[in-house]
Amino acid sequence: MSESWLPAFVAAARSVGLNYGFLLNAFERAAWIDGVVVSIELSALGIVSSLIVGMVIAAALTSGRPYLDRPARAFVELVRNTPTLVQIFCAFFVVNMLISQALGGPQNNPLTAYAWVVIVLSLHYGAYHAEALRAGIEAVPRAMRESAVSLGFSRREILTHVELPLAVRFAWPSLVNNMVDLVKATSLGSAIAVGEVTYASLMIWVNGDNVLELMIFILLVYAALTLLVAGLGTLVENRLRMPGYGQ
Amino acid sequence: MKAARILGALGAAVFLAGVSAAHADATLDRVKSRGTVVVGVILSGPPYGYIDPATQKQAGLNIDLADEIARRLGARLETVAVTPANRVQFLQQGKVDLLIPNMQLNPERAEIMGYVPTPYGDAGGGFITRKGSGITQWKDLKDKTVCVSQGSNYAKPLAEEYGANVKGMPSQPDSLLALKAGSCFASVHDSAGLHLLVEDNPEWKDFELPIATDLIPLPSVIWVRKGEKDIENVLDGFVQDWYRTGWLFEVTRKNRIKITPLLEEWQAKYPAAKK
Repeated sequence: MSESWLPAFVAAARSVGLNYGFLLNAFERAAWIDGVVVSIELSALGIVSSLIVGMVIAAALTSGRPYLDRPARAFVELVRNTPTLVQIFCAFFVVNMLISQALGGPQNNPLTAYAWVVIVLSLHYGAYHAEALRAGIEAVPRAMRESAVSLGFSRREILTHVELPLAVRFAWPSLVNNMVDLVKATSLGSAIAVGEVTYASLMIWVNGDNVLELMIFILLVYAALTLLVAGLGTLVENRLRMPGYGQ
Repeated sequence: MKAARILGALGAAVFLAGVSAAHADATLDRVKSRGTVVVGVILSGPPYGYIDPATQKQAGLNIDLADEIARRLGARLETVAVTPANRVQFLQQGKVDLLIPNMQLNPERAEIMGYVPTPYGDAGGGFITRKGSGITQWKDLKDKTVCVSQGSNYAKPLAEEYGANVKGMPSQPDSLLALKAGSCFASVHDSAGLHLLVEDNPEWKDFELPIATDLIPLPSVIWVRKGEKDIENVLDGFVQDWYRTGWLFEVTRKNRIKITPLLEEWQAKYPAAKK
């Protein structure tokens, strides 16, 4: 492996007073790179599953059936009105313990801290997506819905073929906003020892004198990830644009 | 490229200027002029630092030591609760004058901070897990999920020497909570506190410390900012005096911490003054 540039980089950084010595320690370097990979994984898993959750909740919210929209509304309010970090703690320390007890001991519980971060972020941002999508569904012109009804579309067909395709377009900028937020929220995993990049950096700087150096790296990683998500968002937005509609 | 270099050098210069300014303001002078000494302590549970449920006041060995230091300096004591993850930064940034966070001396830490050469105690890692784990020695921990505090010096030997899957939680209470919740197979923290926990607290009756030896027992010292020799010397005089007067053993026993052979060795170096 050609890693001759690493010592050169570390030496150059040292000459301007920055201590990147951890890059030369195989153990710490591997842990840090692993952290970047986990951050990317958490972001990708979180974005996909939060969108699925968001669509389900948005469908329930706009169903017009009280037994669906009331619980969905309650869920959205609960999730929006409590801090994400508290939800992660609550899931990891309380819900996880209850599940362990119900399954007859922690050894039978398959849910790891990693899984809890994905679950909590998906539900949390799913609720935000749902509100954005609801706004999109409600912005679908009444005439369009009525035409679909008169063509004999069922309720579900109207949702999947008429309302959601338009709603996603209306809601897309808000959805991208939520996704960028989700990427940043993966750093909360550090509070329950999920080895993402914030945690990996933290575990290195608590034993050294390189907070500033690692902070710079962390900021660069998150900036790159969020820019990527926002960039892909714009790409999709242009792809989805219907000529002559909404402009 | 050139611009980047200049920018980098500029940043470094500003950074270094900040550091040297901090050094010019020696801790001892500042304590005297303010009349207050700010000590970083960890409140993670008995016997080192905790909130006494009866009085709602901070108690424990580290608080007693801080109290005594303030008394001897003729200053008012102000304690700041720190965590293993942020204590070094609190010291370096001047948020505290000294640290008594039950933090052991090792070469990595000695490189970035100053310390009082005479230790006031020693501590090693104890291993707490559910009863019936089948673990009897440190090397049984291979591939087990072991929780520690972020910033714990036990993380490295556990991971590198014993191959455990180490998880750093924000603090000791979080780690113990995760152990109870079943998210960690075991937790490793200073053994004295863990022994008290299983002895005293009925909530922990299903847990035990099945490994007889402590992990890397090391001297506990008082930490100060690097290069501040004046306060180091003054505090070193205090600690030596604690041995000579027998106060240290008294306060250690009062906090139900065992007098270890190492502590007796240090005591022998500073024999009690004969009257």
